[in-house]
Formats: sequence, C-alpha cells, structure tokens
Amino acid sequence: MTTEAHVEVKNLEKRYPVQKSVFRSAKDFIHAVDGVNFSIAPGESLGLVGESGCGKTTTGRMLVKLLEATSGQVLLKTDGEVVDIANITDKDDLKSFRSDVQMIFQDPFESMNPRRTVYDTIAEPLTVQRIGTVPERETKVAELLNLVGLTPAESFMFRFPHELSGGQRQRVAIARALIVDPTFVVADEPTSMLDVSIRISVMDLMLKLAERLDVSYLYITHDLAVARYMCDRIAVMYLGKIVELAPTEDLLANPMHPYTKALLSAVPVPDPSYKRPPVEIKGGISKSINPQPRCRFYDRCPMAREDICGPQDHPPLEEKAPDHWVACYLVDKQSA
Amino acid sequence: MTTPLVEDTSGLKSGQTLLEVDNLIMRYKTKQGYVSAVEDVSFVLHKGEALGLVGESGCGKTSIALSLLRLQADNGEIMGGSIKLGGKDLVPISEEEMRTHRWNDISMVFQGAMNSWNPVYRVGDQIKEALDLHWPTRLSRAEVRERIGELFALVGLPADAQDRYPHEFSGGMRQRAVIAMALSCNPQVIIADEPTTALDVIVQDQILKELKRIQDDLDMSIIYISHDIAVIAEVTDRMAVMYAGKMVEFGDTADIFSAPRHPYAWLLLSSTPSIVGPRRQLAPLEGEPPNLLDPPTGCRFNPRCPFATDQCRVEEPPLADIGGGHMVACWNYEDVPVGITAGGVA
Repeated sequence: MTTEAHVEVKNLEKRYPVQKSVFRSAKDFIHAVDGVNFSIAPGESLGLVGESGCGKTTTGRMLVKLLEATSGQVLLKTDGEVVDIANITDKDDLKSFRSDVQMIFQDPFESMNPRRTVYDTIAEPLTVQRIGTVPERETKVAELLNLVGLTPAESFMFRFPHELSGGQRQRVAIARALIVDPTFVVADEPTSMLDVSIRISVMDLMLKLAERLDVSYLYITHDLAVARYMCDRIAVMYLGKIVELAPTEDLLANPMHPYTKALLSAVPVPDPSYKRPPVEIKGGISKSINPQPRCRFYDRCPMAREDICGPQDHPPLEEKAPDHWVACYLVDKQSA
Repeated sequence: MTTPLVEDTSGLKSGQTLLEVDNLIMRYKTKQGYVSAVEDVSFVLHKGEALGLVGESGCGKTSIALSLLRLQADNGEIMGGSIKLGGKDLVPISEEEMRTHRWNDISMVFQGAMNSWNPVYRVGDQIKEALDLHWPTRLSRAEVRERIGELFALVGLPADAQDRYPHEFSGGMRQRAVIAMALSCNPQVIIADEPTTALDVIVQDQILKELKRIQDDLDMSIIYISHDIAVIAEVTDRMAVMYAGKMVEFGDTADIFSAPRHPYAWLLLSSTPSIVGPRRQLAPLEGEPPNLLDPPTGCRFNPRCPFATDQCRVEEPPLADIGGGHMVACWNYEDVPVGITAGGVA
C-alpha cells in the first residue's frame, strides 16, 4: 500500500447467488462487483460513476461494511495504522470504525425516521456509541447544525422530518454523518433527489466541509456534471468493473475507453448551440450473471475486435497515460 | 413512412397557432384554503413546435399540463382563463365532450408511466384500452394489432413486442411503449412530463432522439416538462420558466440560454453544472420556494431575489415583451447581468 493512500481497495468482489431452488445450492452468480481496484488519498474526493446496476452502490456499501465482500480487501488507514476492514469484528473496533467511516444515503425522504426529531437523528451515532453526556451532545448537534447551515440551530433541533424541505433533510443527513468526526465518507447520490438550486448549496457544503475537516469522499453518482463539480478524480464503472480512472478534467477532455466516450457523448449539455457528438454504442444488454471471460463491454463496443478482444479475458486496468488508467486492449499506451 | 399515420385534420401548416392558453388560473382547494398552483399563465403553441416548461418541483409545471387535459386532481379547479385548441375553448365544454378531445387531440406521457404498466396484462392489450376508449370508430381485433404494430414501428419496437408482458421489457422499451400509447390516436399535441427522468443517459439520448424524429416526421407539437435544464436546451424551440405557479420568462430557447433576463431564470441556469466548457463556480440559489397557500405579495420571487426593490414587494410585475417575443415578468430585468453562459457564472 502506498503511504499516502487513505483508503485502498484491492480486487474487491461481490457475488450474489441466483437461487433456482431452495434445496439446490446456487450455480449461477451475479457478479455485481467484479474485481475492483482503486485508492483514495486523504482529503481526496473520488467519483464513482456509471449507469444503474453497474455496481457502484454495492461497492460503496462494502466500503462502509454494510455489505460483506465476497473476496478482496479494503484497507483503511486510521491513526497511522493500516487495517483490513474485514478483520474488524471486535465490538469496540467496530465502534471506532463506525466513527471513522460514515455514509450519506440517496433519499432524504426515506432515510430518516419520521417520529424522531432532528436532534434524535443527528445525535443517534453519539447515543449508540455512548459518546458524551446529553448536554455535551446537544452542544455538538447545535455546532453541526450551524456547520451545515441550518440556523438558528435551536429552531431546527426539535423539528420532525416532515417539517423540513428536501434540501434541509439532506443537510440533516450530512450532519448525522459528520457528527462522529469521520475521516472517510461514502456519499451515495446525495443530491440526486434535490432540485438544481438546492443541489448546488448541498454540493458546496460538502466541498467546504471536505476542505475544513479534511474528509475523504467516495462520491457515487450517475450524473457526470455533478461528479465534475465534486470530484478530484473519476472512476467509470461498467458491469462490475472499473473501465477508466483518471483526474476529472483529464477524463472529460480526453476519455479513452469506448464506454466512457459513449457515456460522455450522451450527457445533455445546457447550451442549445452545442451539438453533441453521436453516441457510439451498440444496443442490447450485457449480462452480469456468470459473464463470459472476456471484456464486459465486448457486446456493446463499437470498436470491439474479434481477433484481439474475443479470445482474451477482461482487460486489466492499466496506466495508459500519466495517472490515466484504462481497461481496454485497443487503447495504446501513450508516452508521457 | 409509406402510410401517413396522422391525417392532418386541423388543416394547419407548420408554425400556425395550434393551442392558445390565456390567463389560465388553476387552484387546488384544501382545508387551509386555495393553493394557487397555476396563476395567470398564457402561452401559444405552434404546430410542429417543441415547447419546454422548466422549474423546480412544485412550481406548477405538471399542473399546467393536467389542466390542458382537464385531468387535474378532484380538488383542482380551473378558476379562470381559456385553453383554445384550434380556436375552440376547452374550459367550458362538458366532460363528455372533453373526452372526445383527450387523446385524439392532446395526449400525455405521464411522469413515471413507464413504471405504471399493469404487470399481469400484455403491453399490447393495455394500449388497446386507449384505442377502445378514444379511437373514433370501433376497431376489429386485427385492426388493433395492425395499429399497434404501426405505433411500435414508429417508436422503434418490434411489432411482436405487443404480445409481451411489461417485465419482459427494459426501462427504455417500457418508455417507448408509453410513447406509442400516447401516439395511438394521432394527437396533434403530446405533453411529455419528465419523459426520461428515470432512465440512464444513454437510453435517455435514444428516447429524446426518437421523440424528435417523430415530431419532425408527423409535424407534431410536443410540450416537454422537465426539471433538467440541459434536456430542455437540447430538445425545445421555445421555453417557459415557471416559478411558484407563475410564468416568469418565455421565449426562444436559444435567447433565454444566451441571456436569461429574469433573476430566477438567470440563477437557475447559473446553478446548472455542465461537462462541457470550463469548470465554473456555480451560483447557489438561497432560500426555499414560497408556500402557495399564502404566496408573497408583489413578485413571488422577491424574498429570494438579489435584485429585489421595494416595488417588487408590493407590485406584481406583468409578463411583458422585451423584444422579439422574449417575455419577462420582472421590474428590474435590466439589472440582471448579461453574458452568463450555461454551466454557471464565470
């Protein structure tokens, strides 16, 4: 593990069995996440983008131990020590892990208990972990409400979720994630349910907090424009595999993988005079159940070569240009 | 296409007025009073044109669409104004007469309709229902099959897909079938309410291209409703920006994007991120939309507006033409900076 990485993911896999019968053991598996590698530097925000079903949420959930990986490793650096999160089983260790790593969920309307006040929701991690006395918790909650811009804090503290707008709820969700002073946050589409105008203020808030509290993010989104605004680097996923990983502006200006190219050319642009290039992708659905041992994008790839891509397994993610990683046999290595 | 699917009954040519909405007011009656969802909205839709309605959730986009079909919820009431289709006002006519216009003249792709197929009936049988209800004559079984085959060809689905069940369709196919259903009775206008919101970008691109092709081939008018400003930029000729039940800006899509004049439209465009062009700092829009039970006096945007003056808090600005059919409802539109490009302020 490189010394500067905060989180390092090695060959992470998640397979779900497809059970045909209760009495037979499963032979078929959905390869939801299929050997993923990446690392996140301290204070860095890595975007994980891709279409629905590509495995981005599954990856995020494994990183916070909401799902157990089938194989592979997630290495987390805490207090100068590197730990494999799979080995965190001890109750106390798990507690400190939960205060180090937090998750923000997509839907601010569903992820909050309607019968609990804002204070209860935000202070819950402290209650569970038995941190502080009640007055101390109240001070801490008020501090966070101020931080996320829900002011005056006293007027929000004892409201219920139905008394809040979508943007306010998502701010509460962010406050709840940050109350335990995490160093790493997985944010799963935190702004996709919000209107554009509110979206910007929530995104700005997360950027500001990352800077001030030195939090690293894994930012999961399907919206490349949002990823561009939020992330230092972007990883593009397709069918459980990362197909391209590069610094944000480099990826947008110089996409190399044919899937990234198709994805970028399909994003609508808020400028009526701009003409997008045609989206080059073949139709059809690639299956994630027992995928064939070749490039996952083969069936939909406009460039696929039977002689090169056909007989080989999925291409490895290689550094084709400085810091620009691509998994494709047809992309030549560029000299720096 | 060899056989024209739409007979142009109106005798209108491209560019002629098809639908004229004048001072439409629609309010929902609640226990706390009236919610003014659509307030004094006027616009004209031309034949063959694509018109966009944008705004945040709750601004009245869908309420306008439902009013045009007179399908607003039971507690919704059209309290003023007119909706003229080919010169005929649809507001005062009976429900029975309205039914003859619904689907035959104006149809709608409802928001989330692709997820509303009944799972236990074949897709074709569900489209047949629309034909049974609205087609002017009684169609035989064979005629229905043929018609649905034609419609499926139009939206890029194989004819035999009508014998399949919704779960056998992908998301994109389900949305194509919804569009086929909206086209089933040769409407002159289709209202597409968030037609691609639940779809991935690559499928969204295909559906939008398909709609554009259908619009051109059939010389049809489409009203697009979307919260996604980038989609509106790409598919519409003219657009209206809605805020709190009011139309605050209306004009050519290209004009509004190059120089939005209403402060709300300006802020909305400034807060839209883009993957093209330089990365910009985006401008946040502070505050929350008003409660429509008790909207602010004067301009409804005044509590959030950076350009608001005393006049704005008292007097409501009219939607006025500032040249070339570009309409703005703002007293101080001249204060709004020009030179913003979509993607945010530089």
